[in-house]
Amino acid sequence: MIKKLSLALAALACSLSLLAQEHDGGVKGTVINRVTREAVEAAQLQLLSGAEQVAETTTDESGNFLIPGLADGMYTLVITSNDFLQSVVNVTVNDGYVKNMFNLSLTPAQHVEGIDDSSLYEFDMDDSGYNDNPTVLFGSNDIFNEVAGYNFSAVRFRTRGYSSESQDVYLAGVKMNDAITGYGPWSLWSGLNEATRSKDVTVGNEIAEYGFGGYNGTTNIFANATSLRKGLRFSVLSNSALYRLRLMASYASGQKDNGWAYAFNVSARLGGNDWVKGQYYRSFAYYAAAEKVFDDANRLGFFVMGTPGVRGKQNASTQEVYDLVGDNMYNSNWGYQNGKVRNSREARTHEPIAAIKYDFMPNEDFSLSATLLGRFGRNGNTALDWYDAQDPRPDYYRNLPSYYYMENSDYKRIDRFKYAWAKEVWTHDWVYPELTHVNWDRLYAVNQSNLVDGLARSKYVVEERRADQLDLNFATTAKLKVNRFLTLNGGIDAKVNRTEHFKKLHDLLGGTYYLNVDNFADRDFATDPGKVQNDLEYYMLHGHAQTLLEGDKYGYDYYAHVRNLNGWLNASVAAGNFSGNVAAKAGTSTFWREGLWQKGLFPDNSKGNSAKQNFFVYAVKGGANYVIGGHSRFYANVGYYEDAPVFNMAFVSPRTRNTVVDGLTTIKTFSSDVNFQYSNNGWDFRITGFYTTIADQSDVMSFYDDLQNAFTNFAMTGIDQRHVGTELGFRVPLPIPSLSLQGAVSYGEYVYTSNPYMTQTVDNSEEVTIKDQIVPYWKSHPVYKEGATELTDGNIDHFQKHYVPSTPQLASSIGLSWNRNYWFIDADFEYFAHTYLDMNPLYRTDMACAGPDKTETAEEIAYMAAQEEFAPYYLLNFSIGKSWYIQRKYQLGFNLSAKNLLNNTSVKTGGYEQTRLVDNTVGKERYYRFDPKYFYMSGFNYMLNIYFRF
Amino acid sequence: MGKNILFCAAAALAILSSCEEWEPVYTFDYGTPGTFKEYDDASITADGATFIDIADLAARYKVGRGPVFIGDNVVIKGKLSSSDRSGNIYKSLYIQDGTGGMEIKMGRTSLYNEFSEGETIYVRCEGLTIGMYGYKSGSGNGMIQIGFADPDPDSDYDTSYMDLQLLVDQHVFHGAKGAPVKPAVLTEDQLPNKESTVVTCPYLGELVTLKGLRYGNEIFALLYLDSQLDTKQPSNRIFLSGAQWGVTTWAMTKNKMASYLESGIWDEAEVGSGATRLGKVGDKEYKANNYAAIQRAAYSVSQYFKMGKTDIQIRTSGYSRFCDYEIPADVLDGSRTIDVTGILTLYQGSIQFTLIDYDSIVYSDGGAMPAILK
Repeated sequence: MIKKLSLALAALACSLSLLAQEHDGGVKGTVINRVTREAVEAAQLQLLSGAEQVAETTTDESGNFLIPGLADGMYTLVITSNDFLQSVVNVTVNDGYVKNMFNLSLTPAQHVEGIDDSSLYEFDMDDSGYNDNPTVLFGSNDIFNEVAGYNFSAVRFRTRGYSSESQDVYLAGVKMNDAITGYGPWSLWSGLNEATRSKDVTVGNEIAEYGFGGYNGTTNIFANATSLRKGLRFSVLSNSALYRLRLMASYASGQKDNGWAYAFNVSARLGGNDWVKGQYYRSFAYYAAAEKVFDDANRLGFFVMGTPGVRGKQNASTQEVYDLVGDNMYNSNWGYQNGKVRNSREARTHEPIAAIKYDFMPNEDFSLSATLLGRFGRNGNTALDWYDAQDPRPDYYRNLPSYYYMENSDYKRIDRFKYAWAKEVWTHDWVYPELTHVNWDRLYAVNQSNLVDGLARSKYVVEERRADQLDLNFATTAKLKVNRFLTLNGGIDAKVNRTEHFKKLHDLLGGTYYLNVDNFADRDFATDPGKVQNDLEYYMLHGHAQTLLEGDKYGYDYYAHVRNLNGWLNASVAAGNFSGNVAAKAGTSTFWREGLWQKGLFPDNSKGNSAKQNFFVYAVKGGANYVIGGHSRFYANVGYYEDAPVFNMAFVSPRTRNTVVDGLTTIKTFSSDVNFQYSNNGWDFRITGFYTTIADQSDVMSFYDDLQNAFTNFAMTGIDQRHVGTELGFRVPLPIPSLSLQGAVSYGEYVYTSNPYMTQTVDNSEEVTIKDQIVPYWKSHPVYKEGATELTDGNIDHFQKHYVPSTPQLASSIGLSWNRNYWFIDADFEYFAHTYLDMNPLYRTDMACAGPDKTETAEEIAYMAAQEEFAPYYLLNFSIGKSWYIQRKYQLGFNLSAKNLLNNTSVKTGGYEQTRLVDNTVGKERYYRFDPKYFYMSGFNYMLNIYFRF
Repeated sequence: MGKNILFCAAAALAILSSCEEWEPVYTFDYGTPGTFKEYDDASITADGATFIDIADLAARYKVGRGPVFIGDNVVIKGKLSSSDRSGNIYKSLYIQDGTGGMEIKMGRTSLYNEFSEGETIYVRCEGLTIGMYGYKSGSGNGMIQIGFADPDPDSDYDTSYMDLQLLVDQHVFHGAKGAPVKPAVLTEDQLPNKESTVVTCPYLGELVTLKGLRYGNEIFALLYLDSQLDTKQPSNRIFLSGAQWGVTTWAMTKNKMASYLESGIWDEAEVGSGATRLGKVGDKEYKANNYAAIQRAAYSVSQYFKMGKTDIQIRTSGYSRFCDYEIPADVLDGSRTIDVTGILTLYQGSIQFTLIDYDSIVYSDGGAMPAILK
C-alpha cells in the first residue's frame, strides 16, 4: 500500500495528468476569498482518505483546481493558502463522477499573522496580591472572535467577563492550564507562532472533540508536524510596544514518501520598546516535531518545544507618580547601574514541553487518539529582596509629595517644604534618576560597606521566585460513529503535577553572602533566633542560619502536589436540520502542600504534607442546533460545572505553612447561551445572549505590607458572580467591490452577587488577624439618601453594584476592510466602556468604613466601599498588508499595523487597590485609602512584519 | 524588492532603538558600582563653607526661645558615635567633635547600612534648623538636634526629620572611615543637671560610659488604650510610673506587653491621667475579655537606675532587638550593679540614657549580661 502511495505521490509530483486513470471519479472547484469573492491563486489542496494523503494540487490563477482519478469514497479536502485560515471540507465521490464543489471560500487570515501571544504579557503585580492574566481570543471561522481577537486584545478584553483561568487551552489534546494557578499557558509557546498556528477553537459552552471544555470556550493547538504549513519561511518583525525585533524561521516538510513529516520553528525576540523603559525581551523559542504515518489507521507524532528567555517587566504606579513624571507608562522596576539601565523584575523561564501523540483510525466510524505530555524546567521571577534596610522601590509612598502635604487637613500632612522638594524630584526625573528609579549604585554601595568580620553581608539582593513544574499528563479521546444519527465521543485525562516553589538567590549585588533568615519575623522576634529561621533544621544542626551564595535556595521551599483524573462522554445526534448533544464529565481533583523546610515560626505546621484536599468534580452540558435554509442556524448551549479550586487559592500562606482556607469548596457554575448565526455570500453575522452564574469561588491575595513589614494574606471564600450579556459580530459586503464593513460588540453586566468571608493572616505571625469575617460591602454598598444621618434601611436610596473588574463590559469595534489582489487594508474604530478596578476586601469591611471612632457614616461607606470605574475611551487602528508571488514559487509579504492612531495615552487597562489604610488622621473619625495603582495602554504603536516563504 | 524592504527595515530599527535597551539583551553585564563617595575637609568646604564646632552651633539655640534656622554656610564635622543596628536608636545619627554631641534627624531607617560607627560625618547646616527635644519649662532641658523646621505649629517638637533622600543627600556627607569613638567614662559630678546644655556639659549627646548603676525599682511607660485615637487625650492614656509595675525587661515588644497586661500586674494602674481618671486597668470594663479594651503594642520603657544619688533613666525602645531581655535578678535585687555605654541625653531635665546595643551593658564586677527571655 505504502509503495503504491509513494508511486502515486511521485507521479503527482511530476504532473497531475499522469495520475493513474483507473478511476473516473474526481473533485473540482474554485477557491475564493470569503470576504471579497475573488479567486485565490496557488492555494494548496490536500486530499486525504482517512489519514492518508491521496492527492495534492494547487489552484491556478483563476482559483480553479481539479483532482481526477479518484475511487468512490469519502475524502477530506484540506485547503491551505498563505494569508488564509486553513479550511477542511468533506467530499464524497460516488458513481465515478467528478464532483464539482463550486466555490470553496477561505477566510482571510492576515490579521492573525501579526498577533503575537506575547503581546498579552502578564502585568507584574507580584507584590499586590492581584493577578491579571490575559484571555487570548483567536481568529477562527467565528466572525465575533475574528474581529474581537484582533481588536480587543490590546485593552485586555476578557470574553464575557470571564477570568482567563476559565478558558481551557489544550495542546495536542492535553489541557495545559496551569495546575497550580489555572492560568492560560500561552507563555509556554510564545514566539512559536508558526508551530502553534493550527488550532481548533470553540466558543462558550460548546463542547470540543478533544475535551469537555468549560463555559469560556476551548482552544486546541495541534502542534504536530503535519499541521505546519509546508515549506520554509522567514520573517522579521519590529514593533514599538513590546520588543524591537523578532526573527523567526520555520520549516515543515509535509508528509514525505516514507510516511514521515518533520517540522521546525525557531525565533528570537529581542530589545525594548518605545513606551515602557526597562521593559525588554531576550527570548528565544524552539520547536521540533516529527510525525510518522504508518498506514491508514496509525500515525505517531512527537514534538518538543520551549521558550528559554528573560523578559524585563513593567510595574504599576499611582496616578500621582504618573502625573508628576508626566508619563502614564512610568515603570518603577528599572534604574541605572553604572549608567546602564537595569530592570529589577525579570521573568526568567525555560519550561520545555515534550509530547508523544498516537492516532488510531481503523475505519471511518471510529477514531482514537492518545497523548502523553510532560512539562518541566524552570519558571522564575526576579525581584529585589532586602534585609533590615530601606525600601529600595523608588515610588515608595514616603518618597512622594503627597506623603508630606495634602489639601485635606484631616491627613495632617502639612509639610509644604518637603512637598516642594519631593515634587522637584519627581517632576525632574531626568535630573534625579537615582531618586526616581531604582538606585542600583546605592544598593551596591550599601552591600559593600556592610562588613561583618571582614565579609560584606548583602542587605539588598535580587531574589528569583521559582515555581518549577514537573507536570505529566495523559489524555485519550475516542470517537465512535454509532450510526448516521448518533456519534459518541469521550475521553479520559490524568494529570500528575509537582511544582516546587522556592526562592533562589540570584544576585548578591556586590556583597559576599546573605543569610537564610526570615527578614520579616526578624523584627518581631529579634530576641528569639529560632523563630526567625526559614530552615529550622539547618539551624538546629549548625547553630546558625545558612550562609547563602548566589544560586542557593532560601526563604521557603515547598512542593505543591496536584492529581487530577477526569472522564467524559458526549453523545451527538444529527437528524436533518437538527443536531444536538449532551455530555457529562466526572472526576477527582486532589492537591496538597508538602513543606520541605521546617519554618521557625510554624515548626509544627510547615514541614511535611498538609491535609490532602479532595474534590469530586462533575459537569453536564448540552447543546441544540437548528439549521435554516443552509446559511443560518440557531443554536443554544447550557452547562453546569462543579470545578475544584486551584492550589494557589487554597492555602492562606503557602510560603510558610500548611493551613488551608476555611470553607474551601467546589466552584459551581451555571452557564447558558443562545445564538443565531448567518453566513452567506460574504455576509457573516452572529449574535449571542449569555447568562452565567459562578458561585463559591475562593481567592487568596498576598501582598507586601510595609506597615506589618511582612507579606499579608487575605483569603476570601464564597465569592459569587453573575455574567449576563450579548455578543454580536458581523461582516457586510459593501457596494464597492472588495470592501466590507465589519464589527463586533460585547455588552454585558458582570457583577458580584455575594458578600464573601475573609480571613487575614500575616506571614510572620501565628496570629490570625481577621478570621472568617463577612465582607459586607463586597457585592454592593448602600447609598443613603441625601442628608440621612442614621444608617437605617429606610434611609437607603439604592445599592451601588460592584462589578467584575479588569475588562471593559462594553467593547465595540466597527471598521472597513478592503481586500483585493493580495492587498488588504483595514481601518477600525473602537469604543470601550465600563471597566472597573479590582477591589480589595479590606475596604469593604465594617472596620474600614467605621474608622478609628468605630462609627460608620454614610459618607465613609460611600468613600471607602466605592469601586472605581475607568473612563470610557475610543481607539483608531489601521493596518495594511500585501504579498507578492515571485515566479509562483516564492512569496514575499508584509503587514504593517498601526494601533492607537490618536495616541490616546490615558487608557487604563487595569490595576489594583493597595490594601492599606491611612489611619492616623487628625479627626480620628475615619480612615482614608491609599492611592490605587494602574496600568495604562501604550499610545500610538506600530508593528511591521516582513515574511518570505518558499 | 525584498532586499530593499529588508534594508529599510534594518535601517529603521537602528534609528529607532537606542543602546540602552539592547544592553541587557546582549550582556547582562552592568559592572560593579563602587562604594559611597567620601569627602574630606577640602572638598566639603570647596564652595566657601566654613567649619563650626558643635558646641558653637548648639550655642545658637537659646533654651525656651524655640527653633533656630541656620542661614549661613557652616559645616559641622564629627565622628559617628551611634548605630541603629539594634533598633534602639531610630532614624537619627549622633555625631561628636569633642566640643559636644549632636543628634542629626535623618528620618531614614537602617542607617547603619550606610554610616558606620567611627566614620567622619559632615553636615552642611545651611537651611537646617536646630532645636531641642524634651525641653519643658519648669522641668528642664532636653537634647539638642538638627533637622528641618517642624511645619506643625502645634507640634511638641522644634525640628522635623529630613525624611527625603534628596534632603539627606544635600546636607549629610560621608567622611573618612575611622575607629569607633572611645566613650568617656563619667563620674557623677560630670553628669548634666537639668539646666545643662552642650555648652555647659560637652558630654551631652556623646557616647559615654556610666559605671556602677544600681537598680532603682521604678519605671516609666506611657500606654494607650487605642493608639489610633488621640494619644494626647488623657482618657486614652495609662501611665506606668512611680513604681516598677512588674516590668523586668528593658522595654516590651507587642507580645511581651500582652503577656504583662494579661498577667494582671498592671491591674492597679490608673486609666486616664491628670483630672481625667476613668478607673483602673483591673476594672471590669477594661479587664473583660482578656483586657480587650486595651490595645497591644510595643512600648518604650525607662528603667530607673541610680549612679550615686543621681537618677539615670535607661530608656529603651520597644522595637529594639534586645528589649524583651530580662534584667537579671541580681541586678533587680540590687546585689550587683551595671556599667552602661550609650548616648547621654536630657529629657525634661532628667538624664535619659540610650543604649546602643545589648552589649553596651556589662556587670560592674565583670561579665556580660546574660540574654534571658521569659
